[in-house]
Amino acid sequence: MSEEKQQVSRRQFLNYTLTGVGGFMAAGLLAPMLRMAIDPVLQPPSEGEFVNVGLAVEDITTTPQRVDWKIKQVDGWYESEPGRTAWVYKDDNGDIIALSPICTHLGCVVSWEGSEDHPNQFFCPCHDGRYTKDGVNVKGTPPLAPLPTFEQKVENGMLYLGKAIPRKGA
Amino acid sequence: MHKGKGMKFVGDSRVSAERKASQIPKDYSEYPGRTEAFWPNFLLKEWLVGAVFLVGFLSLTLAHPSPLEGMADPTNASYIPLPDWYFLFLYELLKYEFASGNYILLGMIVLPGLAFGALLLAPFLDNGPGRRPHQRPIAVIMMLLGLTSAIWLTYTAASHVDWETRAEMNKPIPPTAVEIDKSHEGFAAYEASCLQCHGEALEGTGMAPALLGTEYTAEEIAKIAVEGLEGDPGMPPNMFTGSDEELEQLVDFIMTVNEKAAE
Amino acid sequence: MLQKIYDWIDERIDITPIWRDIADHEVPEHVNPAHHFSAFVYCFGGLTFFVVVIQILSGMFLTMYYVPDIENAWKSVYYLQTEVAHGQIVRGMHHWGASVVIVMLLLHTLRVFFQGAYKKPRELNWMVGVLIFFVMLGLGFTGYLLPWDNKAYFATQVGLEMAEQVPVIGGELKALLAGDEEIVGAQTLTRFFAIHVFFLPGALFALMAIHFVLIRRQGISGPL
Repeated sequence: MSEEKQQVSRRQFLNYTLTGVGGFMAAGLLAPMLRMAIDPVLQPPSEGEFVNVGLAVEDITTTPQRVDWKIKQVDGWYESEPGRTAWVYKDDNGDIIALSPICTHLGCVVSWEGSEDHPNQFFCPCHDGRYTKDGVNVKGTPPLAPLPTFEQKVENGMLYLGKAIPRKGA
Repeated sequence: MHKGKGMKFVGDSRVSAERKASQIPKDYSEYPGRTEAFWPNFLLKEWLVGAVFLVGFLSLTLAHPSPLEGMADPTNASYIPLPDWYFLFLYELLKYEFASGNYILLGMIVLPGLAFGALLLAPFLDNGPGRRPHQRPIAVIMMLLGLTSAIWLTYTAASHVDWETRAEMNKPIPPTAVEIDKSHEGFAAYEASCLQCHGEALEGTGMAPALLGTEYTAEEIAKIAVEGLEGDPGMPPNMFTGSDEELEQLVDFIMTVNEKAAE
Repeated sequence: MLQKIYDWIDERIDITPIWRDIADHEVPEHVNPAHHFSAFVYCFGGLTFFVVVIQILSGMFLTMYYVPDIENAWKSVYYLQTEVAHGQIVRGMHHWGASVVIVMLLLHTLRVFFQGAYKKPRELNWMVGVLIFFVMLGLGFTGYLLPWDNKAYFATQVGLEMAEQVPVIGGELKALLAGDEEIVGAQTLTRFFAIHVFFLPGALFALMAIHFVLIRRQGISGPL
């Protein structure tokens, strides 16, 4: 039997086998490495955890008050407790509103009645940005979007806040 | 290739013991014309250029120490981000209406993707035989357009930035910053009026410069706290609204911390 | 003495052909600034390589002090810049070199482009060169974060937010780069460090090797 008549020549067979063994070695080497590298991608998305901000619902008035609390943040092996701030009040219907104080213009920190010239408004000292009580930006001032609101729930008479949800620009 | 019996090797290696002249590329002296040997003639010229370049480069590093801003503070919500200069054109492009908002994909992926794809495949898009620029006007015009717009975008982005104020506001604070004496009688006033912008340890934030190492005198600080500062970014007036006694304590607190830091 | 050492080595490994190819080739007149001053445009490629050498060396020495950890990264950079003798110069070389290398690369690319030197038979080398450009931009982006100062942190956050905008795989892409879906933190820094110090330089070396081998194979493009 001559070599030409064979479907797969000896040389071809060896080439295929070489490719196969090489592929096996590469896969065996790289599989654990790649799985390790993409691990963060496969982690389930973190749930916005609600944190007790230490404010009883009955203490919430119709005047916005500043609330500071800390959230637990786990970044791999690094645990930290970054602070969060909100302005909390009850609106006319008795619903609790929790506004993020981060100005939507350039991210400065706004405060309730921060300027004596503008009562009943949130005021940003950086560029005189203003928001009405419900967090909507006043037209003609720098910000282009309302203040974000926090996700919230009430348990045992205490206020729990979650993630800040941005609102669409007005 | 010479094969077979009679070949002699160096030891049991595959290096031939007999050197054939044909195996060795030509010596430089065999080249005619006004060419030059790479080694050492041309390399020397290159190294001379390299040496001049190095002197300029080292002068640059000595004249302008590499900048380092304050340690990253994720809670610093007022910091205005800025990329390195060679990404500025992209940063500026995304400010345009047709490249942001609903069209963000156009500005972020389609436009740069087209530009870089065209660059990568340039030899196949511009595949005529002529090499001189006037023989391939389309390719040259496209390149000039792309280059001009990148330079123009970079320039526009850079001209919006007040580099000096930026550098001033983001000076690094030595890790050995003084401990803040929170029992100081002026701390309460500081906490109420200044802390939010100037930071817990007077280190400054993105909104306001550090009070550590301030060049103002006590009287000037007292004045600024009440009247604010003109200019850009400046400081709004009436940040401090307490009594005169509290103001004195506040200024004393700031000066004390500065004195301690200077030690 | 040197000749003897050379002969001793040459007898065993026959390096003359290699040496001739690397060092004893001719340099044509049209790239030689001694003949035509305008030929200085041919220097940019060599200068790019020179800055890359500076970057590699200064980077290697910087890692003697640097730690990729969010608690200590900034402190280690601050320390090497203020306390270590000549630390400021070495970091300065790496910092400014990153910018200068982009400038040189750009000038080199423009020279090749406007001379049409990428035309047949040099298409492959042009593509390798453009890939080197991409790798260099990647090195710039990942290296920017490492000092962990405000500038680094917020620029990286913007960059990652842009990656997130990519359709379909945006979220995954961001998580892959940052090591977390939301936080730019400890895992982001170690990832960027690995990419900056091992992955991209590895790719860069391979591409540069191909670039140079192709130049020696094909020779420099002729005069216009």
